Amino acid sequence: MGLRKTPAALVAFGTAAALAIAGCSSSSSSTGTSTSSSSSAPAELTVWRMGGSVPSEVTWMNGVVTQFHQDFPQYAHTKVNVVWVPWTSRTTDWDTALSSGKNAPDITELGNTDTPTEASLGVLASVSSYVNSWSGKPGIVTGMLANDTQNGSIYGVPWFGGVRGVWYRTDQFAKAGITSAPTTWAELVTDAQKLMKTFPGTYGIDAITDDSNAFASFIWGAGGQIATESNGTWTADLTTPADETAIKYYVSLYRTDHLSPSKYIGQTELGNTGSTAGGANTDFGLGKLDMYIDGPWASAQMPANSVDKSNWASFPIPSENGPTPAPVFAGGSDLGIFKSSKYPQASWDLISVMDNLTNSTSFANLQGFFPPYSSQLTSGPYTANKFLSGFAAAAANSQIAPLNAKNWPTADTGKYFILNDMLKSLMNGAPFASTVAQANAQLQAVLNTGAES
Amino acid sequence: MVRTDYGQPGSISSPAGPPSGHGRRLTFRQWIRRHRVAPYLLLLPSLALIAALVLWPTAQIGTLSFQNYGLPQLAGAAPSTWIGFSNYSQILHDPEFWLSLRLSVISAAIMVPLTLTVGTLVGLLLARLGRKMAAFVSSVAVLAWATPTVSASIIFVWLATPDGGVLDWLLTKLPHWLGGGAHWVGFSWTNAALPAYTLVTLLVVWTGFPFIAVSVLAGLRTIPSELHESARVDGAGGWRIFWQVTYPLLRPIFQLLFLLSVIWDFAVFTQVYIIIGGLGQRDEYNLGIYEYATAFQLPPAYGLASAAAFILTIVLLIITVGYVRASVKEGALT
Repeated sequence: MGLRKTPAALVAFGTAAALAIAGCSSSSSSTGTSTSSSSSAPAELTVWRMGGSVPSEVTWMNGVVTQFHQDFPQYAHTKVNVVWVPWTSRTTDWDTALSSGKNAPDITELGNTDTPTEASLGVLASVSSYVNSWSGKPGIVTGMLANDTQNGSIYGVPWFGGVRGVWYRTDQFAKAGITSAPTTWAELVTDAQKLMKTFPGTYGIDAITDDSNAFASFIWGAGGQIATESNGTWTADLTTPADETAIKYYVSLYRTDHLSPSKYIGQTELGNTGSTAGGANTDFGLGKLDMYIDGPWASAQMPANSVDKSNWASFPIPSENGPTPAPVFAGGSDLGIFKSSKYPQASWDLISVMDNLTNSTSFANLQGFFPPYSSQLTSGPYTANKFLSGFAAAAANSQIAPLNAKNWPTADTGKYFILNDMLKSLMNGAPFASTVAQANAQLQAVLNTGAES
Repeated sequence: MVRTDYGQPGSISSPAGPPSGHGRRLTFRQWIRRHRVAPYLLLLPSLALIAALVLWPTAQIGTLSFQNYGLPQLAGAAPSTWIGFSNYSQILHDPEFWLSLRLSVISAAIMVPLTLTVGTLVGLLLARLGRKMAAFVSSVAVLAWATPTVSASIIFVWLATPDGGVLDWLLTKLPHWLGGGAHWVGFSWTNAALPAYTLVTLLVVWTGFPFIAVSVLAGLRTIPSELHESARVDGAGGWRIFWQVTYPLLRPIFQLLFLLSVIWDFAVFTQVYIIIGGLGQRDEYNLGIYEYATAFQLPPAYGLASAAAFILTIVLLIITVGYVRASVKEGALT
C-alpha cells in the first residue's frame, strides 16, 4: 500500500506547484546583455516614450528623426522605432527588458524621479562622456542635471520639466460668482462648494489618492515635509503637526466635504492604475469635474470631445493660509541610454537632436511643458498665457526632495504605495493616528533601506 | 488492488497464452512482465512532461528562494549569494503576506462552494430539460466558460464602472427594501477589497460553473434511472433523492470537482489583476498578485518572491496530499 502514496503525492505536488507558479510567471534566466560600443550604424534604434501615443508628439518625433538623418548622414538608413510605455508599468518593463535582454530600448524616457533609482539599479548607461562634450550642456538648468548625476557620473539628460496646478474653467468661475482664484485651503473648499451648487451633478475637486507628486504640495503647503535627510539618513515627517493638518485636510475633501467622489479613491489623476483615461482627467474634460489637479501636459490626454477648452485656465495649488502658493513638485522627464544598448553613440546622437534647444522647446510648447534650458524659462511666453500662467507662477516655488531619493520610487510606486495606501485607508474610514503612524514608520524604513524591515 | 492494477497491461499485451510455454529465453516483453515495469514505462512520458514543466521550475524556485536574487544578479552585475532562510522569515514577517493570504483564503472559501452549488443546480436542471432546451442552456453556459479570462474580466470592469456602468444603474433601480437606491450612483467597485472581490467572485462563479454543470450532467447520465424512480416511488422528495441517491453515487466526481475548484479559485490571478487595475492597490492583493508584485515591482526581488511561491506550494501540497489520500482511502479517486 505504500506504493499508492506515490502517485497521489505526485499529483498533489504537481498541482500545488503548478498553482503556486501560476501566480508568478517564471523569469527568463538568459541575460546576454553586454554593452559593446559598436561604431557601425544601427539598423534600428528603439526609443521608449512614456504614456499613450499622442498624434502631435508622433509628428514632432518624425520631424526629429528626419533631422537626425540629415545631421548624421551615417545613420541615414537607421530606423527609429518609438514604443509607448504606460507610466505605471515603466519599472516592470525596464526590469523585464534588462533581465530578458529582449525588446530592450536603446533610449528611454524616464520620470526625473526614476533616474537616480534606475541608475543605481544598473538599468542606465553612463552618458558622462557624451554630455560633457555636448554643446547643450551649459544652457541646461543646473539643478535638473544634478538630479541625473550620481557619484560623479551622469545617467540622463533633462528633456522637459513641469509642475502641477489646479485646472479650472473661467466661465464656470464667473457663473459661480468666484472673482479670483482661491489662495487658501478654506477658499478652495468654499469655491468648490459654490461650483457644485451652481453646476449640480459635478464634483468640486479631485481628491485622488494615487498621485503623491500632487499630494506633496498639500504637505508642503502646510509648511511640512514628507521626509527629511540628514547625513544620509531619512526621517519621515508624516506625524508632524503640519503634515497631519495637510493629510486631514486632503482626506476631508472626500470624507466630510464630499467634494470628490468615492470612485477617485484608488485612482490616479488619469483613472485606474495603468489607464490614461477614465479618471479625473476625463471628468474634467467632459465638464463633470470643476477643478482638476494636474500639470499642463495632461491636455494631451484630455478627451477629444472636451467641453469649453477655450476657457481652461490654471491657478497654483493654494497653501494652507495663503497668499503664497504651496511649493510644487518639479516634475519632468529625462532621456537616458539603456544599459544593454549596442549603439550608445548612435543613441546619444539621437538624444542630442531630441534635446537641443530648438527641439526641446518646440516639444515643450507643443505640450505645455517647460524646456530644460534656463534661457527659455526666464523669458518664456508662459506668463502671458491664460492657461499656462498658473503653472508658471507655481513653478517659481518648486521642490524635488524627497521625491528624487534613491528609494522613493520603491516607496511610492514600486513595491510600496505608502502615501497612496495611507490616503486610501483614511478615506475608507481607517483610524487616523495609527494609520498615519504606520505609514510614517514604513516610509522611513523604505527610504533608508529600500524595504519595510 | 496493486496486483490487479499491474496485472492488467500484461494480460492485454499477451493474449497468446501463458508466457512460460514457449521454452525460449526471456523476451523483452516477458522481462517487462516479469518485473512488472509496464505501468512505469507507461507513466514515463507524462512523468517527463511533469518533470520538465513543473518539477524543474519548482526546483529552480526552491533554489532561488534561498538566494539574494534581484535585478543586479539577473543582469550579471552582482553575484547571487546564499542567504539561508532569510527570504522565508522576511515573507512570514510581512503583514502584507498575511493580508493577501487572508484574502485568498476567504475568497476561495466563498467562490468554491458557490461555484459548486450553482454548477450542480444547473447540472440537475440540464438533466431534466428536454433535448433542445438542454442543448440551448448548456451552450449558453459553456459560452461563459469559453470566454477568455481577460475579455470576461474587462467586460465585468465595464459592467461595474462608476461612470454609467449597468451594475450601478441596476442597483439604483432596485426597490429600497432590496438595498437599492440613490446611494449606488457612482459606486466604486474597485476602491476597496470587499466590493472588488465581490465582483471577482461573481466573475469566477460565472466562468466556473459551466464546467461543474457539464461534469455533473455527465455523471448523472451514468446513474440508472431506476434508482431515481424507485426512490420516488418510496416517497422521497427531490432534496432527499439528491442527498441519498445522486450525491453518494457521484461523490467521486464531486470530490474531484471540489479539488479542482480549490486549486483554480486559489490561483485566481488574471481576474483580480484586471479588476483591481494592476498593482496600485496593495490592500487588494491576493497571494498571486502579492507574489507577482514581490517579484517584479521595484526593486525586483525574485528570491523573495520565490520564497513566497514556495511557501504557498508547501501549504497547498499539504492540503492536496491530505485530500487526495483521504479520497483514495474512500475509493473516490481510484
